[in-house]
Amino acid sequence: MTAVVRPVAGSEALRDRTTRSTTGSRDATSGRPALGAMGALSTFGFFVALLAMASLHSVLVNGQFEFDSLQDRLEYGQQRSQVLREEVARLESPSRILSAATGRLGMTPPPNRLYLPAVVPGDPLHPLPAPSENPFSLQVR
Amino acid sequence: MVVGFIFLVLSGLLGWRLVELQIMEPDRYLERGLAQRIRTVTLPAARGAIVDRNGVDLALSVPRLSVVANPGMVDDPAGAAIALAGVLGTDIGVLEERLSRQRSFVYLDRQVDSEVADNAMALDLSGVYTRPENARLRPGDGSGLALLGRTDIDSNGISGLELVYDNLLSGTNGEMIVEAGLGGSTIPGGEYRVEPAEQGLSLVLTIDRALQFEAERLLADGVEAAGGKGGVLVAMSPTTGEVLASATVERGDDGVVRPSTEHKVATWTFEPGSIMKPLTMSAVLETGTAAPDTVREVPGNVFVHDADFKDSFPHGTEEWSVADILRQSSNVGTILWAQDLGEEALYRQLLDYGLGAVTDLRFPGEARGILTPVGRWSGTSLPTIAIGQGVSATPIQMLTAFATLANDGRRPAPTLVRGSLDDGGVFTPIQAAEQIEVVPSGIARSVVSMMEAVVSDGTGKRGQVPGYRVAGKTGTAWKPLAEGGYGEDKGEIRYVASFAGFLPAEAPELVILVVVDEPARRAYSGGRAAAPIFSDYAQFAVRQLRMPSEFERTGLDQFGRVMATTPARASELQAAEEAALSGTG
Repeated sequence: MTAVVRPVAGSEALRDRTTRSTTGSRDATSGRPALGAMGALSTFGFFVALLAMASLHSVLVNGQFEFDSLQDRLEYGQQRSQVLREEVARLESPSRILSAATGRLGMTPPPNRLYLPAVVPGDPLHPLPAPSENPFSLQVR
Repeated sequence: MVVGFIFLVLSGLLGWRLVELQIMEPDRYLERGLAQRIRTVTLPAARGAIVDRNGVDLALSVPRLSVVANPGMVDDPAGAAIALAGVLGTDIGVLEERLSRQRSFVYLDRQVDSEVADNAMALDLSGVYTRPENARLRPGDGSGLALLGRTDIDSNGISGLELVYDNLLSGTNGEMIVEAGLGGSTIPGGEYRVEPAEQGLSLVLTIDRALQFEAERLLADGVEAAGGKGGVLVAMSPTTGEVLASATVERGDDGVVRPSTEHKVATWTFEPGSIMKPLTMSAVLETGTAAPDTVREVPGNVFVHDADFKDSFPHGTEEWSVADILRQSSNVGTILWAQDLGEEALYRQLLDYGLGAVTDLRFPGEARGILTPVGRWSGTSLPTIAIGQGVSATPIQMLTAFATLANDGRRPAPTLVRGSLDDGGVFTPIQAAEQIEVVPSGIARSVVSMMEAVVSDGTGKRGQVPGYRVAGKTGTAWKPLAEGGYGEDKGEIRYVASFAGFLPAEAPELVILVVVDEPARRAYSGGRAAAPIFSDYAQFAVRQLRMPSEFERTGLDQFGRVMATTPARASELQAAEEAALSGTG
């Protein structure tokens, strides 16, 4: 009976040893995957960072391109505005109007001039009559 | 072994070169790199515009392209010249000579229209390209050219107001430093510095474009009708001294009367003749020598020193008041009163009116006229100067003298510029010079009243303006000859006809001077040659300036009345209201 008991005790000691040895082997083997994961994570992070930087750079380049393009448009707009301003001033200049009136439209200065007194809407001394329905037609009764 | 040695030497050399590049002189290559990438771009400051009192453009800078070339890169100068000549409208020989020069840059044609530039570029010639520039344009063609002046091709003012206000109009160029890559695109995050250009300010004139154009047109027609050699018309606001129109015309070699390139309003002098008489009479009244209704005997002629002075019309001895003398423009009556007045008093009065001195216009080449100091007067100086001979003045001086009478005796400083306008539209007015009291307001009003009779019932009837009371004076002066004298001995007298007046006489808002140089003998008097031009012009001007007529003035102060106005006047009223509000607040 005694002989039966020993292996039990021995088995516990063995189990302890086995456990210790198993534990020691698990410590050694479980460190490697952690490092690998960290390495992979770092690599992934590095590439993500690279990608982010590339994206950022792309955004920056895009922004700069847009900025340059806007500046070009602004410059063109300013130049165009000056050209149009000159054209407006030329078109409304009295010399051009006179030339168009006497030339293209065949107008001639009247022999006599009659100046009507200036009447301004809202002037209580010279109230304006209400316009007729069609001020450009004449009704003959 | 040998190969190893060679390899070692090469490695050593390479190493040494690396040390040299990286440690010993790193800046050299950095600088070369930067020089390739850094671009410095000049930001040209646009020349400011010149606008009229209502903000209408009279002169402005517009971007244009110049066709330029690098002759070194032109393969076939002769062929290129032939091709370009048709597009640019320039002589083939001239273009070939320019394209054959030993230089890296030549202008082929400057500031051309965009179509011309496009056509030139469409030829696709090597070494020929375009370059942006600013061209100075005047949209109103030649109107006001003498006044506005010119710029050279590089937009530097060389005459007129372009020259006087060149610093104000020019501005300062800016600079942009930018780091650019291949193809000229900006490197993001690279060097980027901008010093913006300070744009030239816009000059706001006192001139009204419509009044200026009509002044030139009516004056040219009037001078043509009078058979004159040239003429001047200048209009001013008597209360502010602002010149509203300033026209000069002259008959060209082809016999056509057209606007002159010389601003004779300020640079030309003439003997004013009878338009001097109101000034003489104001001195007579101011010194108490006489009153407007003081009567004296006026004979048909008066002998002074060694000269016999007569009136332009024969008459016996008449009993005329001072007002009558002015109304009929009597030389004899004016001389008699001037003798009572005395040399010193007359001289002082004319100086006070601004004769013999340049005005505040600051116009290039402005003349001061001739008013000889009283110590050097001869025996006939007093009578001749009293009637406007033997003294010379510029049109602007005479106009200012009349503006003084219209402005209750206070002499305004004539001005052509109201102020400046910056990029943001902020207006900065130019400080007006102080007005000088020449005669008391009561005396000025008496003279105005006498001048009103000149137009209503005297020599200036043709200067009447329907609906308005006008005060004015005609002038018919002998013109001095270059060789001396007036040519009366040979019967070759030449005249200068003039009319100076203002309206409405009861509260003058506009003073106008018209001078016709050498009118034909059929209508040489101021009343016939100049007064009709005054009348035509004034009829237009009162409408353009929205000046109410006598009829429209009824109830002008009534609450709620609405009057037509101009943009310039509206801003003046607004400024006055704001000043009044800030004063009360």
